[in-house]
Amino acid sequence: MSIISNIGPALADKFRKLVFLEHRPESGEVFLKQRRVFTLPSKAGWMFVLLLLLLFISSTNYNLNLGFALTFVLAGCACINAFLGFRNLAYLHLLAGPAAPVFAGEEAQFTLHLINRRQHYRYALHVGFAAPGHTEQAVDIAPDSRCTLQLSHPTLQRGMMAIPRVRLQTWFPLGLLRAWSTWLPDAQVLVYPQPEAFAPPLPVTGVAGKEGQGHSGDDEDFSGVRAYQSGDPLKHLAWKHIARIDLDAGGSLITKQFSGGSASDILLDFGSLPANLDLELRLSRMTSWVIAADASGLAYAFKLGALHLDAASNEPHRLACLRALALHQLPSPEAGV
Amino acid sequence: MKPSNLPGFSLSGWQRHWKNRPLARDKADTLLLLTACLLVLLPHLAVFAWWVNAGSLSLMLWRGWLTFSGRRLPRAWVLIPVALTLMAGIYLTYHTFLGREAGVAMLALLLSCKLLEMHAKRDLYIVIFLSFFLLLTSFFYSQSIASAALALLAVLALLTAQLSFQYTGAVPSLWKRIKLGLTILGMAIPLTLIAFFLFPRIQGPLWGLPGDANAGRSGLSDSMSPGNISKLALSEEIAFRVKLSGATPAKSELYWRGIVLNRYDGRTWSHEDDAKPAASTSDLISNGDVLRQEIILEPSGQTWLFALDMPDAAPQLEGMLSGINSQREMNSAQPINNRIRYQANSHGQYRLQSTLTAQALLPSLRLPASYNPQTLRYAAKLRQGISDERQIVNEVLQFFRRENFSYTLEPPLLGVNGIDDFLFGSRAGFCEHYASAFVVLMRASGIPARVVTGYQGGAINNVDGYLEIRQSDAHAWAEVWLSGIGWLRVDPTAAVAPERIQKNLGSTQNSRGLAGLVNLAMSNDSWFGSAIRSANMRWSALNNSWNLWVLNYNQARQFDLMRTLGLSEFDWAQLSLIFFLLSATVMSLLALPFMLNRPQISALDRLYLSLCQKLANQGYPRQAHEAPYSYGQRLRTSLPDTQYAPIHRFLSAYSAAKYGKNVQSEASTVKHLKILLAQCR
Repeated sequence: MSIISNIGPALADKFRKLVFLEHRPESGEVFLKQRRVFTLPSKAGWMFVLLLLLLFISSTNYNLNLGFALTFVLAGCACINAFLGFRNLAYLHLLAGPAAPVFAGEEAQFTLHLINRRQHYRYALHVGFAAPGHTEQAVDIAPDSRCTLQLSHPTLQRGMMAIPRVRLQTWFPLGLLRAWSTWLPDAQVLVYPQPEAFAPPLPVTGVAGKEGQGHSGDDEDFSGVRAYQSGDPLKHLAWKHIARIDLDAGGSLITKQFSGGSASDILLDFGSLPANLDLELRLSRMTSWVIAADASGLAYAFKLGALHLDAASNEPHRLACLRALALHQLPSPEAGV
Repeated sequence: MKPSNLPGFSLSGWQRHWKNRPLARDKADTLLLLTACLLVLLPHLAVFAWWVNAGSLSLMLWRGWLTFSGRRLPRAWVLIPVALTLMAGIYLTYHTFLGREAGVAMLALLLSCKLLEMHAKRDLYIVIFLSFFLLLTSFFYSQSIASAALALLAVLALLTAQLSFQYTGAVPSLWKRIKLGLTILGMAIPLTLIAFFLFPRIQGPLWGLPGDANAGRSGLSDSMSPGNISKLALSEEIAFRVKLSGATPAKSELYWRGIVLNRYDGRTWSHEDDAKPAASTSDLISNGDVLRQEIILEPSGQTWLFALDMPDAAPQLEGMLSGINSQREMNSAQPINNRIRYQANSHGQYRLQSTLTAQALLPSLRLPASYNPQTLRYAAKLRQGISDERQIVNEVLQFFRRENFSYTLEPPLLGVNGIDDFLFGSRAGFCEHYASAFVVLMRASGIPARVVTGYQGGAINNVDGYLEIRQSDAHAWAEVWLSGIGWLRVDPTAAVAPERIQKNLGSTQNSRGLAGLVNLAMSNDSWFGSAIRSANMRWSALNNSWNLWVLNYNQARQFDLMRTLGLSEFDWAQLSLIFFLLSATVMSLLALPFMLNRPQISALDRLYLSLCQKLANQGYPRQAHEAPYSYGQRLRTSLPDTQYAPIHRFLSAYSAAKYGKNVQSEASTVKHLKILLAQCR
């Protein structure tokens, strides 16, 4: 039993690959040539076939020659419907746009362009991911124009997530047949680890001792802000900064720092995290720290395995850190496919 | 009924909108569907019981009102009792659910109820498919050209409704959707023609037809009591059409033999079933040429076949046995419920059964004893005075001519002794009165005689050359048996109203009202009259070819067609093969424009190329190496400024769209370039 259930999907997969030409991801603009568009009767179509049979038998029984004519007209219409349905989908150009990175658990948004270079209007194309449970979007494309749509897919794991197979289908014009095609664009989205929800405060290195005895009361000596640590006096909280960051997204309270204390650089060192913690949890914590550090506006250095990044607090730095976290100890995307 | 495009509708499901707030588009689609259903029900309305019409129409009105006012569809507990009541009504009216009429009425009510219970897309298909089936059932009543046209219109409406529900976002105007429906229908026509003529047919019926399958047909019956034929004579329905291979005989010779009525009970003439099959050809001795006829008989629901007097053999029917008996009546083994075609040979000059025994003639002498004493006395008087049978016949015909007999479709009612009343009282009647009075007189004077019913006359259609015999040509005449001669046709009506035999009935009767006016116009030799006459003939000829090629087309005709196409030895498998090959060819021809993958030239490039073509025609072809800019530079030097300016505008717009950052949508750029291109000369 288990062997069959194991072989079944594999065989089905092979079959799909063979018949429906489901190959490796395609890059660039994809052209839906006729070999890629399939048509089969829909449920209503099968009902229609039954109707035609009934009409034919009734016409034969009652010798209704106009009944035969009606049967054949309707059968002819079904044939024409197949052509029109095919035309509605075939020879469409498809192009996948770039996808913005997201944190695991968020929805990745894939941008797709459908380009109609033909002279006819394409109506009621349903576009969505081929996997079950996805809602499809219905679009119309005017002649010589394009339509851009976004498909969202939930992300669960960090790393490079390839876009799932996209299915385009249409029941136009009579709903009796379904014309469909699938497309696996060569598009990926970078998924950062999910930030830890209640991460410990940012680790501040080296000079923590000085801080306690510093001129904590003097506003004139204000030198910057750092993440809140337990024991910081409430009046030193940097409310203006706090108002700008999102506590729910892993941000933390921020304390004003005053000169006298040394310029405490933040070092986010993966190695300093307890080794007995789960790898993913450590990565999550690092991620939330990167977010917090970036939100605080402080420069932070970053260490992850062999990767050492000097302290900085700009956007490229943040993206480099997050990317490193996302891909840490994962096979490189090029080798993966 | 113009639907409006509503933004925001595009992404959401059809069903949700149907249930929640009906939008303008749903309203328009629903009204379109209602119209289509109404078109489908239209031919049925004349047939259904009045309450079925009222029921389905009010259900559809209800649906229309709900749609207009944007209310919810009724809940099940409202709809189910309504439906059950209607079903009960069907049972009370027809006492069954299974008969043809009951079944069709039930389907119609079901359709009307279903219109009020549409929640998902599936329900839409049920409504539309049910409508298609009801279209088929409408052909039970009529398969005329008009009903075919109405059905085609209904199919178009249903297709348009069906495709209207498929749009998810942009919805084109009603006219555009109708055009799409027309395109589908138009492209389906070639396939339909091929399938109609070549799809292998099986001769029906496949199972027993319900008893009411062929109700309500008119034609001669196998008995004749006063008023039978005069009722028929009011019908302009075609009884049969004939193509004569030789010259058409004079109208007074066109007697289409039908049923022999030999038994008389004093009131009704009826047919004798115990007639023997026709003896060998010696029974009928032909003295003249053979008249070959091809006859297309309309369904009568009876078994009688007609041919010119006197047919010599039973015609060959397709898929049915036929026979001819000693009285030269021809019939088929089964009732004729479909139009049939057959060939018959007749003899204008003949001797029929010239040597019959007295025993065999006895049935043709029988008269009920207690009826018509006056007639019997008159016959006895005749018999006493004259010995020659022929003279007696002539004397009776003279009597009809001499006395003040008149010919009318509306004779006064006759009493128990009908022949007495007619001969010596009213003296006004129709062919049935004359024929029966004549035969009674003959029998009373000892001459074997019988009534023959059939048709007399017919009008040639100038358009297709077919002789058309209508129910109004129904006629009754007499046959007397004279020794040495056999059965001889005698038409007493001709003695009274010879114009009835020589012309059509229409000209002997003065129609009243509008029909009279039309008749007046037709009888005049005015331009108007002849125009109407020729239009009539054209219409009739069209109907005839419709009958021949559409309604009468069957398995045998299919094989005939194949034979005329030069395929003599023919079987079912070959026919299927030809059908599939031909339809595959036509399908690929139809599909070619869709499947053909032409080189992809974008609309922008197409416009650019057409500009280049335009300039090449003027003698400034673009060189292969030239880009739009360099081409433009060259043109600037060789063309006058006024001519160059629009070209420059076009080229820069094209370059911007093609090579620059495309800010505008392609469609609007194309529109813009088209305008610019038109300015270039």
